Amino acid sequence: MNMLRQAFVLLFFASVLGFGVNSFHPNAIPLIGEYRELTEGSEPIVPPSASAGDPPFIAINEAKLDHEAGSSLFIDARDPSEFECGTIPGSINMPFEYLPEDSLEQYMDSVLSGAAKEQGLIVFCSGEECDVSLHLARNLQAFGYTGVKIFFGGAREWENFELEIERRVDCAE
Amino acid sequence: MRRIIDSEIIALMARLTLAGIFILAAYYKIVDPAAFGKSIWNYHILPAQTINVIAIVLPWLEVLAGIALLVGAYYRGAILWINIMLAVFITALASTIYRGLDIDCGCFKAAASAVGPAWDQLNLDIGLLVLAAFLLVSRARKWQLANLF
Repeated sequence: MNMLRQAFVLLFFASVLGFGVNSFHPNAIPLIGEYRELTEGSEPIVPPSASAGDPPFIAINEAKLDHEAGSSLFIDARDPSEFECGTIPGSINMPFEYLPEDSLEQYMDSVLSGAAKEQGLIVFCSGEECDVSLHLARNLQAFGYTGVKIFFGGAREWENFELEIERRVDCAE
Repeated sequence: MRRIIDSEIIALMARLTLAGIFILAAYYKIVDPAAFGKSIWNYHILPAQTINVIAIVLPWLEVLAGIALLVGAYYRGAILWINIMLAVFITALASTIYRGLDIDCGCFKAAASAVGPAWDQLNLDIGLLVLAAFLLVSRARKWQLANLF
């Protein structure tokens, strides 16, 4: 009983401190946040972390049309191991976690083989639970690439729509 | 066996380890509550309406439980919370691995990226739960503030 009483006291003070500090916090958050559930629709998926000025987000339908038309270059922002396990066919890998911070622009230009800055680029990662596509797209935009779009549904939504997946390594086991 | 469980030295080491990790883990969550809320959302377990309240309160519960464990005041309550929190973290992490979600667990930092070594974190949490469970059953009570009163 003593243990439960102590636990309630700790929870009470944690609540007082939490709500108290949040009311003065420079990065305070509202009590009820705006989060969306996982969806697989034709509307573009836009994460809560998106902000004004970000590259446009596109839906699976637009990504599919661009892929069929071959008008855009698809960029997988995940780790090489995940890229090799399964990605959108024809994609190139630009793993956000391993980007060379000192020579980012040269690296991007090199990986994109000197593509024009207006080239359509569709950046994606696993799906709605990951943000690396957003971070990579912001970097590409910052270095002057103007045709960047984000397909936030990512490889999972692509696969859920039973579109072809390119697998370089068998990761089933 | 009982002598080992009641060992004052082992209990002290377990307290220091758990307290240090919980306080450290809470720091980043307190500094950037929005990112921590995003990390919780990434798990897709809790209703969206509850996420921010948890993002606001949970880090402070970690801090208070860590301090209580460290100084030995409200000790039993702190151990109970640490066991509960670790059990919840382990369940949440295991569920993401089972569902194939590729997330940043939000355990020690803001969710800057998606790539999170969920298995490493799961193993760490299981190790910490062993320590916390040890403190739950141990009768070691030396070096506690509560002894002074």
